[in-house]
Amino acid sequence: MVVKVAKVQKTNLLPVVEQSEEEKMTVKKYLRGEAADLGELQDKKLKGQLAVREDLYGKSAQAAAQAEKWLMPSEGGYLEVEGIEKTWRIKQDAIAAEVDILSSRKQFDIVLPDFGPYTLDFSLSGRYMIAAGKKGHMALLDMKNMDLIKEFQVRETVRDVVFLHNQKLFAAAQKKYVYMYSDNGTEMHCLKEHGAVTKLQFLNKHFLLTSINKFGQLHYQDITTGEMIGNYRTGLGRTDTMEVNPYNNVIGVGHSGGTVSMWKPTSAAPLVKMLCHQGPVTAMAFHSNGHLMATAGMERKIKLWDLRKFEVLQTLPGSTKAMQFSQRGLLAAATGSFVQVYGDLSGSQEYSRYMGHSIAKGYQIRKVQFRPYEDVLAIGHSKGWSSILIPGSGEPNFDTWVANPFETRKQRNEKEVRSLLDKLPPETIMLDPTKIGSVKPATKKEMPTKQDIEADKEAAVEGAKKTPLKKKTKGRSKPSKVTKKKQEAIMRAKKPFLEKQDEKVKKKRKRAEEENQLPKSLQRFARKAPAS
Amino acid sequence: MAEKGKKEKSRGEITQRRRRDGGEVRGRKRKSLSSSGKRKEEKKRRSGPRLPNALKRELERLNPTVDGEASDGDDEEIDSDAAVGNDVYEYEEGVAEEESTRNKRYDPVENYEFELPEDFEDWKVPSDGEEDDDENEDPGRHGRLLEDITGLSADAFGGKKKKDLIISEAYPECEFNPTGDILDGNGRISIHDLLDPLHGKSGFSKLRKDLHRMGKKTVPTLAPVARTDQERIERKAAYEQSKKDITKWEPLVKRNREAPTLFFDEDKELGYSTIGAIASEFTPRTDFEKKMASLVNQSEVVDAHKRDGARLLELNEVSIEDVKERQERLAKMRDLLFRHEMKAKRVKKIKSKTYHRLLKKDKSKAAEASIRMDPEAAKEHAMKIEFKRAEERMTLKHKNSSKWAKRILKRGLDAQDDSTKAAFSEQLSQHAALTRKINSIKESSSSDDSSDGDDSDDMSAGSDQEAAEKLIKKAKEKTLQILEGDDELPTSGVLALPFMVRGLKKRKEAADEEAKLALEEYESSLKQMGDTSKSRSSDKDAKGAPGGKMVFGAPEKVVNRTTKKEKVNNYYGDSDSESDADANADDNTLNDHTGKSLKEMDIDPSLLREEFGFSHDSVFKSFGDAEDPEPKTAYEVAYLSSDSWKKVRKSSDAVKGSEADLNVRKPGIVAQTENDPESEDDDEDSGTDSEVEMVDGILSSGPKSSYELPSQAELIQRAFAGDDVEEDFIKQKEAVLDEENPEPEKPVLLPGWGQWTGVQKRRGLPSWMLKEHEAAKQKRDESLKKRKDAHLNNVIISEKLGKKAEKLHTKTLPYPYTSKEVFEQSIRMPIGPEFNPVTAIGALNRPEVVKKAGVIIKPIEYEDVSVHERGEGGRKGSAPKQGKVNGKNRSRK
Repeated sequence: MVVKVAKVQKTNLLPVVEQSEEEKMTVKKYLRGEAADLGELQDKKLKGQLAVREDLYGKSAQAAAQAEKWLMPSEGGYLEVEGIEKTWRIKQDAIAAEVDILSSRKQFDIVLPDFGPYTLDFSLSGRYMIAAGKKGHMALLDMKNMDLIKEFQVRETVRDVVFLHNQKLFAAAQKKYVYMYSDNGTEMHCLKEHGAVTKLQFLNKHFLLTSINKFGQLHYQDITTGEMIGNYRTGLGRTDTMEVNPYNNVIGVGHSGGTVSMWKPTSAAPLVKMLCHQGPVTAMAFHSNGHLMATAGMERKIKLWDLRKFEVLQTLPGSTKAMQFSQRGLLAAATGSFVQVYGDLSGSQEYSRYMGHSIAKGYQIRKVQFRPYEDVLAIGHSKGWSSILIPGSGEPNFDTWVANPFETRKQRNEKEVRSLLDKLPPETIMLDPTKIGSVKPATKKEMPTKQDIEADKEAAVEGAKKTPLKKKTKGRSKPSKVTKKKQEAIMRAKKPFLEKQDEKVKKKRKRAEEENQLPKSLQRFARKAPAS
Repeated sequence: MAEKGKKEKSRGEITQRRRRDGGEVRGRKRKSLSSSGKRKEEKKRRSGPRLPNALKRELERLNPTVDGEASDGDDEEIDSDAAVGNDVYEYEEGVAEEESTRNKRYDPVENYEFELPEDFEDWKVPSDGEEDDDENEDPGRHGRLLEDITGLSADAFGGKKKKDLIISEAYPECEFNPTGDILDGNGRISIHDLLDPLHGKSGFSKLRKDLHRMGKKTVPTLAPVARTDQERIERKAAYEQSKKDITKWEPLVKRNREAPTLFFDEDKELGYSTIGAIASEFTPRTDFEKKMASLVNQSEVVDAHKRDGARLLELNEVSIEDVKERQERLAKMRDLLFRHEMKAKRVKKIKSKTYHRLLKKDKSKAAEASIRMDPEAAKEHAMKIEFKRAEERMTLKHKNSSKWAKRILKRGLDAQDDSTKAAFSEQLSQHAALTRKINSIKESSSSDDSSDGDDSDDMSAGSDQEAAEKLIKKAKEKTLQILEGDDELPTSGVLALPFMVRGLKKRKEAADEEAKLALEEYESSLKQMGDTSKSRSSDKDAKGAPGGKMVFGAPEKVVNRTTKKEKVNNYYGDSDSESDADANADDNTLNDHTGKSLKEMDIDPSLLREEFGFSHDSVFKSFGDAEDPEPKTAYEVAYLSSDSWKKVRKSSDAVKGSEADLNVRKPGIVAQTENDPESEDDDEDSGTDSEVEMVDGILSSGPKSSYELPSQAELIQRAFAGDDVEEDFIKQKEAVLDEENPEPEKPVLLPGWGQWTGVQKRRGLPSWMLKEHEAAKQKRDESLKKRKDAHLNNVIISEKLGKKAEKLHTKTLPYPYTSKEVFEQSIRMPIGPEFNPVTAIGALNRPEVVKKAGVIIKPIEYEDVSVHERGEGGRKGSAPKQGKVNGKNRSRK
């Protein structure tokens, strides 16, 4: 049995010949889409300007592609097998035997039988982890040196826990309210408005803490100002499946009716509501490119959806309570005490079994969480949590401006300020964020503005004035008659506009009246209008 | 010098004579030539036309004395004339036809010919006039000379002189009085006249032949082109020329226009870079600077500086004499100062008033003199005065604001002695003097204002009393309005509730009471006034004033007004029967001005009861409202936990069914649901096991065997477990679609329309109705088809953009873009430093014009830009250095 573990870093498995092709791909990636067809343009000046611009873009992309080679030296690896061996048959022991000591240290099991099942969350850089047992045990850990930073008991049900913008602050959904704690376990805030929250999410670019509570109410709270940005009733009952689409920060909520609804903080109606399963949705996950969504239903199906077309790409058998996509697109789904990892190794959006891992029997997995920038999958279960190696799951290169696992205190402070300055307003959350800055899509009923109406009226009047009058005999073309006719024509042209105005006024009055109307039960006490 | 003087004298004589001539009737024809000089004019004057003899005689007869008197002068004139006529070389320049304004064929043209100055004298060529003058001066001299020499009588020589009488025209020549030459056609010198003297000379025949030929062959010159045409042609030519000039710039300008960036940073040298450089270019201008420069640049000093500077000390040495001189000078100055000081002290000590007065007078005199003499001093003085004025205006020092003035006022002016009074008035007058100008302005404006006010207020009312009357009337009107205005009670809303209405009424009544009292007051005062005015008017009548009628009319008017008010009230009462009683009541109050209090409205017991009932009900209702949402959510939770979906739906239907039912059922459900979450919570709190078990219960075969297919029965069960879910979803989608694009209403006939005859029934609905319905349906279908989720049965995509997100989009396409796609593709690339390599950021964000501060942009210089180069430039436009190719400033055109 030959297991070749492509190490996470410093391994270049691809042949040299493809380099140019690959470079082309990267250039294309940096071009961020197709250039406009300049041949169609009539405006020569604009054409020239755009041509120059495109040229510059091309150069920039080229330069970026060249720089990528140096800035992102590591290639992600994956498990490679020979012959009839299957990747999913490879056990963690086998991997541990092959990898370096540092990596092998990342395989561990923590057994905490008393306060289970545990839920986990990693900080953005993947360095810190918060683990929260259902019965109120919370632990903040530094995963780099396996240091326990703080451990405390809240003596209350903890349903979910989530890091806020950095490891200094995290929020926990407890029995009645959501609480925010600092890294030394001090309770900073109690967010009572959220109610008994089942699931928490944090939108780090918008600084929005999102929660869904027992009554299926979705809350968005800005943690910088404390303002409640949105409070919407999903109207679809209690749920504890809520995930963020990392691409556009749209919140996806899975409901008991088999539907998945997607929300933004500025609208009370869901952006998208789709029927994904026949039974209740038990788990869902979003790919980091934003195009792929995985949902799992009670009817033992895992479905992969293309979010551009809202179509099913693939249906996998199996049921799961916890699911997550890794940074590089592997999908971990946990069932009972077994974790299945799927991957599209062929690169054709065809997910198939990649790896599997089963923990001790009887342990119920509550949460699977890939560690960012590491090939590690953390599994929170009823008797603690364990960490396994999944080669090819994490992003090998990190951008220190985005997330730095080796961040110093000063850097963290700087970044905090910077991210606050760069905070995005909540309305920037939309299904297709690339549409920001583009032309506003035409609404169905574009109400004409006052000026438009006025202009139309004037045009109509002008037209009426200009219509030539027939030359008539027998005194019917007398100037007085002509002027009279003209005035009539003008009045006729004006009439519809005036009528419309009248209608508007009437409508308004009616509405006001309706608003003034008493509730039905009180109407009988109102002074009756005498019939006359 | 003497000669010149003589000449001048003679000229003076000429002019004199001419004046005389003008005075005489024989004023000669004079061409109105602005351009020619005096000399010319003189000449012209002489070349007068000959008059026909008959005319001459006639003229003689008319004024014989004048003629006789002028005969002497005339002789000379003839003389000179003959001389001119005979002199071939003295060609007289003809006047151009354009210049002569004779028959106005030509537009007036400014004549820019050189004009000799008035006092110009051609000293080299002795003028004819002078010769003439000589002759004129002494006409008989020549004759006498001849006589003396020859001994013959002068008549022998002068006999051949014909003494023709020339009579100039009766009127000065002008276009209405053409000369004889023109009329006769002769008197012009033709070529033949010129040729005649040459007759018989060698080459004459040839010359004549040539002339003949030329005369024959002269082609008539074409008439000049019309001015507009000519100008057009000229413009065309000029345009061609300038076009050629300008087109050479085209490639250059095009290159600059196409360049993405223009650079104006060629001139790196910004002139001076250091203070030293600036200093080095310093050139002394003023005297002082020059002096300094001469001292500083002394060769010795410079030398000393260049060396170690030790010599500077030597140069610094000062001679004893210099020091002494300086000391002396200083001492002198000090002495002078001291003396001046002493003098001032002495003068100050002098107590004589007369002395001081005289001194003051002297001073003021001196000042006045200086003001008159010295503009600087005058200016200063003016400034001073202005300052004083300003000060006065600001401080109002002389307007009884001083302590002194206040004290005097306090004690009373009458108690003061005369001198104090005088001083007081003096200061006031001072103030007046200092602020006179301003006051005058103010007065005018204020008077204007007051007049305006008068206009507005007292248009009709002349006296104060009348104004007061008017005011009162106005007030009365207002109160009347108030009395009637608010008697309409709200018919809907909370305010329409009986108790509210009653409260309102009570308040209104109180207000009415007050208003009535006020009205009475007004009325009485009005009456009084009317009486007074009446008496006044009667007085006026007695005096025979015609304005009596108006005054009498005033009270009548009031009465009329009140009646009108009543009518209006009645009208309202008719229209709004609800407020009829109120209106009537108001009428009553208006009619009897005695102002009795209204009887209290009796409270209807039934209304009272209703009120209580209502309050009770409202409380109940509000409770219901408060309760409403919670049970619902709880309800949902309940059905989540429950297994069967159908039952839930049924119950939800029931919820929709009737409110009464809901009210009845709710408690039960609430109780149930309240239990449910509690129990669930309990489960959760109690531990993991129960939940896990539940999970296990559902996913019994899940964990390890993902290969194992679940049993067929299970599969089927699961597959059809939530069949209703799909239906539900479809229904939901339909609801959403209906909400966004409502379905058109089905066409229906008016009930009863055409039903008696049955015709309508037979025909069915009218076609236009069907058509309309069809069109609406089609429209809806189309809009539904356009939706993103049109083909996706299981997806609802919201079409709402959201108001808040609107600001993230542009409302319209920005200017140069015409297509949305192109625009959107052009903004796809971020250009910030976070998204691009450093090498590209500069080029991506470079402004259109790169210019260093302080660089002067010179006008564009011509350079030859070949087409080939241009092409290259266009292609390499992005390269930052492209703009600098020729090392010259380019500017945009």
